[in-house]
Amino acid sequence: MAAPQADRFDSVILPHLDAAYTLACYLLRDEHDAQDVVQDASLRAFRYFDGFRDGDARAWFLAIVRNCCLTWQRRHRNDRLTVPLAPEHASAAQESRETDARAIEASERAAINRAVAELPAEFREIIILREVQGMSYAEISTVVGVPIGTVMSRLSRARKRLASVLGASQEAN
Amino acid sequence: MDCAACLELLDADFDDELTPDERADVRAHVAQCADCARARDEIAATSHALREGLARYAAPDVLKARIRGALAEAETDDASETRASHPSVIPRHWLRLAAAGLVIAAASSVTTFGVVRDRSASRSVQDQVLASHVRSLMPGHLTDVASTNQHNVKPWFNGRVDLSPPVPGLDSAGFVLDGGRLDYVAGRAVAAVVYRRRQHVVNVFSWPESGADTRMSAVTAQGYHLVSWRSDGVAFWAVSDLNEGELSQFVALFQHGGAEAKR
Repeated sequence: MAAPQADRFDSVILPHLDAAYTLACYLLRDEHDAQDVVQDASLRAFRYFDGFRDGDARAWFLAIVRNCCLTWQRRHRNDRLTVPLAPEHASAAQESRETDARAIEASERAAINRAVAELPAEFREIIILREVQGMSYAEISTVVGVPIGTVMSRLSRARKRLASVLGASQEAN
Repeated sequence: MDCAACLELLDADFDDELTPDERADVRAHVAQCADCARARDEIAATSHALREGLARYAAPDVLKARIRGALAEAETDDASETRASHPSVIPRHWLRLAAAGLVIAAASSVTTFGVVRDRSASRSVQDQVLASHVRSLMPGHLTDVASTNQHNVKPWFNGRVDLSPPVPGLDSAGFVLDGGRLDYVAGRAVAAVVYRRRQHVVNVFSWPESGADTRMSAVTAQGYHLVSWRSDGVAFWAVSDLNEGELSQFVALFQHGGAEAKR
């Protein structure tokens, strides 16, 4: 017996696993929870795979991941206070680029990650899909399940909030 | 267009999501309205800070192994349910071992090189190029020399690989140079030049290869697009998750820019 599931994992899910994991980390703000949810989402993606025809596999998979995150949160709503992830996971590629401005940059990065972690979920997810995943409005609309106009206005409001928070923290420095 | 209408569309303009007419209206207004120009600059600065500053998370290997294991398990469950008269001949713990083996195979395929010929040769090079691309996306693996300046990146390869790869500046076309990296494909050290568009990474691998020039050929594998060609005794592979249109646009610019630089 061949292992078609494993093949499909490689071709369909694996290329988007980092994107899925990143989204789950931001939505759940906990890496262990994110791993559980991404695993669950991957299995669901396979169960529904026949329902996926051609199209954007990443948006399709991220929509499943997002739903799993929301389900998970409903189930665990009162379990814990939200603790934003520490920004120490910022990629090493970025870190290697730091020069003398290292300390300032690190504190700016921490402020940015904190500001995003504190956004309401409906803004946070759109910021991640656009600014981290580089998705188009149409792709984001597929993942989040809202019209493109809503994507546009939420993104605009989210950036405005972040601009005022980041602007304020810069003045405080 | 008044300020209220303009402000509503500024983000979409920045994200390149407007129709040409809308874009023209917005830009005409911004050109003569200092307030809206300020708002536009703020959007650009915020977006830039977010892209640079937001953490990215790489799915840990243990998660991949868990998913493969769970899939193998789900498959045997399905098989035993739907084909009760044909019980699976593979004991479940074998499948788990197989799943673990796959992970190890995926990890080691990067360092295993066999003697390969003909079609399987290019297939194998394709696989290796793709594996290198995917590996390069892991945190800390993308560039050995991080620089947006082509005059820093190109000399860096001197003495490290046996060619001087073209490193055209393509900023104006929206492909920003990210740096260079030494990589290993088909049993040899190769040059990898890294560009970015939005959050998409383009790796351009190159190494000396005898033979006549070949035209671009494109394939898609595992959700990535790969374009390969040979020119002046150098084999090139460009890999990205950019859509095919943008990647071929990139390759055309790269070839043009590379030829330009040589002159």
